Amino acid sequence: MKKKVLAALLVMSMTAAMMAGCGSEPGSSSSDQGGQESQGSQDNQGGQESQGSQDNQGGQESQGSQDNQESQGGGTEAPADFDYGSGNITIWAADAVTGLTQEMAEKFIADKGLSDKYTVTVESVGENDASSNMITDVAGGADIFGFAQDQISRLVSAGALQQITGTGFDTWIAEQNDGGAAGAAMVGSNTYAFPMTSDNGYFLYYDKSVVTDPTTLEGVTAACEAAGKNFYFEVNSGWYQPAFFFGTDCQLTYDTDDSGNFTQCNIDYSSDKGLVALKEMIDLVSSPSFQNGSSADNATNVGAIVTGTWSATSLQTMFGDNYACVKLPTFTGSDGNEYQLGGFGGFKLLGVKPQTEAGKLRLCLELAQYLTNTESQLARFESNEWGPSNLTAQTSEAVQANPALAALATQLNFTIPQGNYPDAYWSRATSLADDIISGNITKDTSDDDLKKILEQFQNDCISYAK
Amino acid sequence: MKKVAAFFKGIGKELKETGLTFKEGDWKTKVSFLILGFGSLMRRYYLRGIAFLAIEVLYIWYMVAFGAGYLAKFSTLGTVETHMDPATFLTVYGDNSFLILLWGLLTIILTFFFVLIWFMNVRENRNEEQCLKEGKKVPSVKEDLYQLLDAKFHVTLLALPTLGIFVFMILPILFMVGVAFTNYDYNHQSPAKLFTWVGLENFKNLLSIGTAGFGGTFYRVLGWTLVWAFFATFLNYFLGMGVAILINKKGIKFKKLWRTILVMTIAIPQFVSLLYVTKLFANDGLINSYLLKWGVISDYIPFWTNPTLARITIIIVNCWVGIPYLMLIVTGILMNIPEDLYESARIDGANGWQMFRKITLPYMLFVTGPYLLTQFTGNINNFNIIYLLSGGGPQSMSLVGSAGSTDLLVTWLYKMTYTETNYAMAAVIGIMVFVVMAVTSLIAYSLLPSVKDEEGFQ
Repeated sequence: MKKKVLAALLVMSMTAAMMAGCGSEPGSSSSDQGGQESQGSQDNQGGQESQGSQDNQGGQESQGSQDNQESQGGGTEAPADFDYGSGNITIWAADAVTGLTQEMAEKFIADKGLSDKYTVTVESVGENDASSNMITDVAGGADIFGFAQDQISRLVSAGALQQITGTGFDTWIAEQNDGGAAGAAMVGSNTYAFPMTSDNGYFLYYDKSVVTDPTTLEGVTAACEAAGKNFYFEVNSGWYQPAFFFGTDCQLTYDTDDSGNFTQCNIDYSSDKGLVALKEMIDLVSSPSFQNGSSADNATNVGAIVTGTWSATSLQTMFGDNYACVKLPTFTGSDGNEYQLGGFGGFKLLGVKPQTEAGKLRLCLELAQYLTNTESQLARFESNEWGPSNLTAQTSEAVQANPALAALATQLNFTIPQGNYPDAYWSRATSLADDIISGNITKDTSDDDLKKILEQFQNDCISYAK
Repeated sequence: MKKVAAFFKGIGKELKETGLTFKEGDWKTKVSFLILGFGSLMRRYYLRGIAFLAIEVLYIWYMVAFGAGYLAKFSTLGTVETHMDPATFLTVYGDNSFLILLWGLLTIILTFFFVLIWFMNVRENRNEEQCLKEGKKVPSVKEDLYQLLDAKFHVTLLALPTLGIFVFMILPILFMVGVAFTNYDYNHQSPAKLFTWVGLENFKNLLSIGTAGFGGTFYRVLGWTLVWAFFATFLNYFLGMGVAILINKKGIKFKKLWRTILVMTIAIPQFVSLLYVTKLFANDGLINSYLLKWGVISDYIPFWTNPTLARITIIIVNCWVGIPYLMLIVTGILMNIPEDLYESARIDGANGWQMFRKITLPYMLFVTGPYLLTQFTGNINNFNIIYLLSGGGPQSMSLVGSAGSTDLLVTWLYKMTYTETNYAMAAVIGIMVFVVMAVTSLIAYSLLPSVKDEEGFQ
């Protein structure tokens, strides 16, 4: 008998041990990338908090209010007796705005008089996790979710985004938001998301006591070298790296069809212009002051750093009175010409999951519209300093008065709106720069070899668009 | 080989007996071939009959309501794509290749079990008939159930764990093996897109030598994986043994202090210390900063960004993490070696090195052989160290699929699923990891002294 009891206990513990790995950990993954340097596409910019605004487009006054527009799709107002059905709407919002989103969504449902029919659950899921979770499991994903704009084609091709073109809301999006943001919400000729912010871009922060003249790249590196300080520029990220290539007027964009498939790659890296950019990268990396990175919180001994608005607060603390920021510097290329570093301008978007019920689809679209209208964007600016994409919000005094961001505004003149890039591109860009950083490519590498590498890179990029 | 032959012989015998049962059985038995449990019911063994009948009804219900649909699509993994109705903007979900593969597999397995139960049913009929013919008593249901608590107690106990292992391990493994033969990647993601069978194409892609594709990268990653596993295992082993012998030596003072210092590294969770070490050795980390400040070096040492240096640093850091464990294990074993062996060796005039080679080392290898083997296989899959230290980097234009110079097969697999969304290729790599592990551990196992010579040290 004793033996049996013993055996039973052993089996129980074995079963328990087997089940131990099966627990779910909700929310635990949203913050675990904090300390890690970027390794792939998803780390690039999505999860970072943004605190600024883009105020260079404020000149255009926007008159389009949501009440008085009629479009071919019937406008965004539902008929008075429209049946919304009932159910639950799940929203994934970044940790910082979870509470705010919950408040806004509940207010919206109450105003609609649907409080007894619909419940809203807002969960804290960061932009990175939102897109990868949606792609892994569309059925289990949220009805409305925020994501970084570089993920849009990935989401569309995974069937995780409701097409908005034709519903009437697309006209509203185009009228209410700045052109870059509205364009970023499109794949092919269709709109797939509601723009939320228009502030993902990078520029130069520097320590005034170290760098006196931030206008040229050579000047910045020389000043940092002289002071024994570090100059951070994350060249091995596919997001920061194009600063060089776009600076020398190279292009790299992808065309997609309406369902998010990449149809064509427009690239001319394998050219004399590309060679100039690559050589400049080699030059920069060879400086003893160069550090590959963009996270202000992980940086040490900083003289200058290229990063975005989300780093403003930590850098203010770090530099104190010597805090300064400006557009990216220019550089003198190997061909003797002067070039201005370029880059991407990026956006945060709010997407709606494809729905199977007409009532809920309508309500989700209206809720997403509400969450990205002028008032909501201003509310997010006030609470979290997220820079609005809404034209009216951009002209508001508070947004205009945010002085730290003039730099971003100037830099955005030299950037292209970040379109859609296949996943493999981000990883390939890392490979290209890692070859420089790890010393596989140096100043001594012959032009022919460099050209071969650029050609390989170009061919790889083209091969991603099948 | 013998076992395989015996297995097929067993199946042949079973089939033959089934045929005989049908030929020689009465009409009740014959009907039972179609309607399970019919014979038992007619012979008034109601409970048994109902159980068999219920299983058949359940199986048919499952197939009609569910399984057959998935099974029918199993060969194509679906043909109707998900699309949006342009008039209403509502999404109409088509076939879901992922679910078709999963449920299709499950249905095949359930069918296999049903066939087994069908055989059980036939055998039961044969038993009953024979017992009745010979005038013996057929064991009652009560007796059968009592057996489950007595002679067949192991069946009762293991039912739940076996079910768990099947659902949580066997089925996912079969599913992943299935995925390896499909084109489930970035461009074919369910439920929006369909994926389908592509045969051995993924394997060809991975194994083709001398191409710019996955082939070249795979062999480089595999090579480093084996080199890493070798050094990580044996360097730790011998250095740990050395440290333990050193501390154990007579005349060493403060033994407890030394042991405590070494064990401190165990006290801190490994991933914390690893993340810390990553920062420590970074280009802008503490070590480089201070060396620069003191003027020892003029440019930072690229601990993580130079491929060769990154590999060496990883192996050394792994020693730092692993030696204390080895020291603890070896200390215990050292104390177990009979002192008289050393004494007699000393009388014969052996020196320290000879004693180590002829007494300590054989004894250690004998006792820790299986541990070494598990360490080696564990190191092949040592995700933590690589992922937390270098993240697999630095990458290079000569490596594809996000692979880096310090990536092991298992970290590459991780990148393949998370950054490349190439599940098919990841599944193939998973299978290759299994093959590598199985081959190396089987070879190593047969070479172990504790296996070759079980009586060696008794």
